[in-house]
Amino acid sequence: MRLLAPAGPSTTVSDLLTLPPATGTPFAAGPQATLAHLSTLILQHPRLRADAASVALAYWLRRSNLDRLAQAFERRRALEPETVFVPVGRVFHVAPGNVDTMFIYSWALSYLCGNQNIVRVSGQNSEVLAHLLSLLSSLMQENEELAAGNRFITYEHDQAVSAALSEWATHRTVWGGDDTVKAFRALPMSPHASERAFASKFSYSVLSAATYLRASPLTAEKLAAGFFNDLFWFDQLACSSPHLVIWAGSPEQSDSAIRRFDTELEKEIERRGYESDPSHTMHRLNYVFNLSCDADLTVDLTQKQFLSVRLLDGHPWRKEICGGGLFMHVRVENLADIATIAEQRDQTVTHFGFSREELELLAQAGGGRGVDRYVPIGDALAFDVIWDGYDLVGDFLRRVTVRMGKYDSQQ
Amino acid sequence: MTTSASLERLLGAGPYSLPQKEKRAILTERVRELSCRHYECCEPYRNIVNRIFGGPQTLDFERLEDAPFLPVSLFKTRELCSVERAKVVKKLTSSGTTGQAVSRIYLDAETAQLQTRTLVKIMQHFLGVERRPMIFLDHAAVVRDRYSFSARGAGILGMLPFGRQPFYALREDMSLDLEGLEAYVEQMKPGPPVLFGFTYIVWQYFVEALEQMCRRLSLPGAILLHSGGWKRLEALNVSMEEFRRRVEAVAGIETVINYYGMVEQVGSVYFENSLHCLQASIWSDVIVRAPETLEPLPHGRAGLIQVLSALPSSYPGHSLLTEDIGVVEGCDNPATGMYGKYFRVLGRLPKAELRGCSDTFQRTVATP
Repeated sequence: MRLLAPAGPSTTVSDLLTLPPATGTPFAAGPQATLAHLSTLILQHPRLRADAASVALAYWLRRSNLDRLAQAFERRRALEPETVFVPVGRVFHVAPGNVDTMFIYSWALSYLCGNQNIVRVSGQNSEVLAHLLSLLSSLMQENEELAAGNRFITYEHDQAVSAALSEWATHRTVWGGDDTVKAFRALPMSPHASERAFASKFSYSVLSAATYLRASPLTAEKLAAGFFNDLFWFDQLACSSPHLVIWAGSPEQSDSAIRRFDTELEKEIERRGYESDPSHTMHRLNYVFNLSCDADLTVDLTQKQFLSVRLLDGHPWRKEICGGGLFMHVRVENLADIATIAEQRDQTVTHFGFSREELELLAQAGGGRGVDRYVPIGDALAFDVIWDGYDLVGDFLRRVTVRMGKYDSQQ
Repeated sequence: MTTSASLERLLGAGPYSLPQKEKRAILTERVRELSCRHYECCEPYRNIVNRIFGGPQTLDFERLEDAPFLPVSLFKTRELCSVERAKVVKKLTSSGTTGQAVSRIYLDAETAQLQTRTLVKIMQHFLGVERRPMIFLDHAAVVRDRYSFSARGAGILGMLPFGRQPFYALREDMSLDLEGLEAYVEQMKPGPPVLFGFTYIVWQYFVEALEQMCRRLSLPGAILLHSGGWKRLEALNVSMEEFRRRVEAVAGIETVINYYGMVEQVGSVYFENSLHCLQASIWSDVIVRAPETLEPLPHGRAGLIQVLSALPSSYPGHSLLTEDIGVVEGCDNPATGMYGKYFRVLGRLPKAELRGCSDTFQRTVATP
């Protein structure tokens, strides 16, 4: 097991478990200042500054957003006057391997809530991950409180380590996929502990074909820019990256809309000078050849940096993930038809061209079956304190009830 | 057996006897024939032509560059066969490490025979008509299962008919049987031997083994044929030049011939010419394509290698896009004494390392 921040020699589980107990108060000034400082450091870092996902992280960690989070906490307190909010205590975070910045979001919220944290990052070589960890390490050298209560580690699949950390934790947050979640569910925690698990998810976009066709050139350009981010960040393998683009409208409208959409995306790719990894091109190609053996589709292989596959009407949909810049256009008659395909693993639906009422109806109709969030195209990867339908801040806090007897005031 | 004028013409000529222009006209016709045949007989191929290449009218292409192609990986995910299962006489599978999907190639008697015929002609061009003593730098166990064997086994079985007195120089634990080899060389029939093996096996278990034993062999006039990609040697930082130099140093072998081939196109292999490039025979050709746009590239530009073969009629493997990166170096060069295009393989496109949600612990590449 390697200790990544604070940087140190390889460490043992028993060393980790001797963290001093958290005495933190939620949303104290110290952690807020530390995170705001981290935001500045990220934006000053030559490599991280150039990484869109790191910039988004820094933006999320900036002072004004932390203020907003603190205000939200104050509102929470005001709504529950009989509750004293305390940290949940010791949090074990298992960070995902596909999104380099995710471990910071998860950790930062828990740190703000006043907890002790052990964060397991996956050991994959990522430059961004390494830079972020070294920033944290350097922060820890000058910040005793940060260094005392937080450990960022990595280790290969090791049941014994995972078991010991699970036993230690009063709350476990597993960002994984189905397999990781299952592996951790098998490891018992303290009977008093709580857990939040984020499993494999599937995300897609829905657009009104008619509205999209009427959209101004500027709107179409902005949508392409937003879709570009949703698609290409993290190689389309973040849980919230879209894999289907669903058009609500007539066949004719959808045809024209799809042509416009693809052309706009091509223009956006050109504007940004984006070049996908050649191995991704091959990956997309292999995927679409295999798919076309038994799915009725059309595709244009001369598309650069991405492939948009058109699944023909009447063909059963596939909720499959290729990744690396491939998505499938499909058509429905009405937005409401989408509710029938909602599944529990559906996470983010990015949308354009519908009214709030239509989307609320859809959310209701999808209901217990699925879909965690409906957000505008371009916001798929924006981190939210409500994730997969769960309140992360709530997870990292414990509510202590303090209720007075009616005679107390008469004393 | 189907009769085909273009195939007959190709079979009637020597492997490097037709100038590119002439060969290309015949090969294009043959590839057209094969495309139509597979369109008719192989449903997945037909679906791909219809859905990706724009329908049957694309089969009437004028230029070889416009022939539909399949990515070579498709043989790993799909059963691609253009004959009834009863007609399959041999199933080839690619070597793959445990857990990896392998290519499955179905041969009927006709395709198997075509592969042998053309391979014989290419081999004879380099080794002569006389069969020579043959030393396999491998162990005998890799050829045991004859219906379904690995690329290593298939390579050796394919070589067997070209030599006599086959000798396997490695023991089953991959150690070099030096005493056995020396005894074999002592008593073998006259004529210098041919040695055959997979590049990294030759390197690790023959060249390095001899070096570690501080032993040298003397095999003047011998030819070493080897194949199997440079990936492992590249990782060890061994160039082709160094490979040749050290083979000569430990075994006295001056003629070292690399060849490029794949289980999906057995028979129409590419042998190394005197310029140390891989030479296309009249039964095959290469097109290099831009990895991003798949547009054909001019000579001298590196890109994805597409291989075309006149042979596969029992499976749609006549036009394949590989994941190898290469560059066409020239064509019809008198210095080589051979007609046709020649090229170099520069390496393999790295596998897409796409990290899914589900790989906190298990590393999964998102494939269907």
